[in-house]
Amino acid sequence: MSHLIIQDLHKSFGDLRALQGVDMVVEKGEFFVLLGPSAAGKTTTLRMVCGIERADQGRVVFDGEDVTGAEVRGRDMAMVFQTFALYPHMTIFDNLAYPLRQSGMAKADVVQRVNEVAEMLRLGHTLARKPGTASGGEQQRVAIGRALVRRPSLLLLDEPLTNLDAKLRFDTRAEFKRLHRELGMTIVYATPDELEALSMGQRIALLRGGRIVQTGTPDELYTKPQDTYVAGMVGSPKVNLIPAIRRGADDAPLVEMPFGAVQNGPWADALKPFPVGSELIFGFRPHDVAPATDTGGDDGDGGGTMRIAAKVHLIEPLGDVVILDLTAGETQLKMVLPEEQAIRYSVGDDVPVNLRVENSFLFARETGTAIC
Amino acid sequence: MNKPVTNVASASADLSRTPAASNNVTDNTITPAGGKSMRDFWQWMFSPERRGAMLVAPALIMLFLMNIFPLMWSFGLSFFHYKASSIRPPRFAGFYYYEKVLTDPVVWERLQTTAQIVALSVLLQMVIGFAMALMFEKKFPFRRELLMLVLTPMMLSFVAVGVFFKLFYEPTFGILSQGYAYFFGEPLTLLATKWGAIWAIVIADAWMWSPFVMLLVLAGLVSVPDYLYEAAAVDRASWWRRFKTVTFPYVRGLLLLALLFRTIETFKIFDVVYIITAGGPGTSTETIAVYVYKVAFQFFKTSQSSALSYILLFVVIVLTNLYLYFVNRRNEEI
Repeated sequence: MSHLIIQDLHKSFGDLRALQGVDMVVEKGEFFVLLGPSAAGKTTTLRMVCGIERADQGRVVFDGEDVTGAEVRGRDMAMVFQTFALYPHMTIFDNLAYPLRQSGMAKADVVQRVNEVAEMLRLGHTLARKPGTASGGEQQRVAIGRALVRRPSLLLLDEPLTNLDAKLRFDTRAEFKRLHRELGMTIVYATPDELEALSMGQRIALLRGGRIVQTGTPDELYTKPQDTYVAGMVGSPKVNLIPAIRRGADDAPLVEMPFGAVQNGPWADALKPFPVGSELIFGFRPHDVAPATDTGGDDGDGGGTMRIAAKVHLIEPLGDVVILDLTAGETQLKMVLPEEQAIRYSVGDDVPVNLRVENSFLFARETGTAIC
Repeated sequence: MNKPVTNVASASADLSRTPAASNNVTDNTITPAGGKSMRDFWQWMFSPERRGAMLVAPALIMLFLMNIFPLMWSFGLSFFHYKASSIRPPRFAGFYYYEKVLTDPVVWERLQTTAQIVALSVLLQMVIGFAMALMFEKKFPFRRELLMLVLTPMMLSFVAVGVFFKLFYEPTFGILSQGYAYFFGEPLTLLATKWGAIWAIVIADAWMWSPFVMLLVLAGLVSVPDYLYEAAAVDRASWWRRFKTVTFPYVRGLLLLALLFRTIETFKIFDVVYIITAGGPGTSTETIAVYVYKVAFQFFKTSQSSALSYILLFVVIVLTNLYLYFVNRRNEEI
């Protein structure tokens, strides 16, 4: 059963059109990620789901019930704010107990519930303190604890890791996955970080300028980006996007790039209707480029790989993997290699590389939308 | 360099002069004689290192003559037998007047009257001030204009407010009495009974000072971050609980300050009372400040009124220190 349905949500703040028709469906128990740069509308969407903000247009359906105009209090959901929004005058215990006390729960039960959550989030030692004296990580866990303590069926998380340092982020990512598995609640998680999205999300909605560009599993976004924006947002290092022109016969299209031409990609059939001379963008992941061995590969005519004569331009070691910036003529492209392979190359070396055409993407240059 | 021409002003000036500054004077002494010594004097007076002190000096002198000296003088007088209306020189009396004031049942009665007025007026100010602050916290059309209007009573002089209300309360043509007569057929002589007169004063004082409480509370209200209200809403807090747990902690400190400040001020209430009732009917609205005035300037018991004033000053100092303590504590909180 769909737990949360958002239909055609619009919201403007003065001249700023924050949301321009957001549609999404979140299934029960799903870890759903809203991914997008700042000002894409992630926070606004969350705020409208929990009712802090009123929609100009559109509907929010929660648990099969239209809650678009309903009071915040009537919704069985909790939210973790980016700023944490802890009550500064109360102890951490009282912060955690706050949502429970409202419901008229017996004192002993409140204490027990808070202690459970505090233990789960390793906050036991901080309970008597005020939030101002807690560390960033502790404050963030208090914010999460306050949301979890009521056991809501839907949890909204608004960039909860943004205010944490890198190490803590890494740990907390795993923590969220564990919590989600253990508690089985539906989670909608907003983040500008694709790594967070790909590592935690079961499905991801990619937002841009108040619209959802593409919704899908991390794998779908990675392997079938609907446009150049999605391709660029998802995957690290960034996708290679090379300007190209459609050549060849009407029924045997060829994609011509500065360093060679390619055909028979997964996009070949979809490309047929495009007139010769159409401007395209050819995309491929740095992971799909590998140094050419003498046995494999030909010049792109049918074998599934394309050979490119490239030169090492820059080497970026990232520990176990290394990003090699290559130049092929005037064109720059990136390749990722395991550290032990990359060690053979140095700047200025000629590297013939093979590109796996079956995993490549093709986009129309003008609109950026995928051809497939 | 020329040697400085010796005259009284420049010679005395040179005592404190740096070499660079004395060059300046030296150049100046070359100008033709005549207003020379006068000009030197001005230059000495307003030289940069002295200018600030010279500019505040008149104010300080006035303050000393009009405030500090009489304050100390009256403190001295409180230990002497002395009447300002009599030509007889003061005779030492020790703590005689302090004892007399503290054992005087009339003083305690006046303090009681004052306490009644303070309690009612400050309570009213707090309630109305708080309510107005809650109102002005929200945005509505003409909020700014209305806010300015509401703040005006605070800026009026006590005497003006006193006269306004005296005219409002006037039994034959006052607006209050007229309005009362319109509904009930007979004029209202509010100031004829003890409690009528006390309420008359309380209303005037509360009218004047509720905006002050409002300003302080409003400052507290607008300092509450919006995200806390949002968090409380998501945590399903009711309106009352949100107010109690989110809003009030931000206002509490300021409310306490308003309470203390208004208590101190109302404790000293004189002008409004003196103009509206002059302590009447009888002595039923005679506050301690009015009583001090009467003792000092109607009965001319100068020593006794001085002693009483110092006892009151002591009370005010205690309250003020309490106030400052809370101000500091609030600063530490924030």
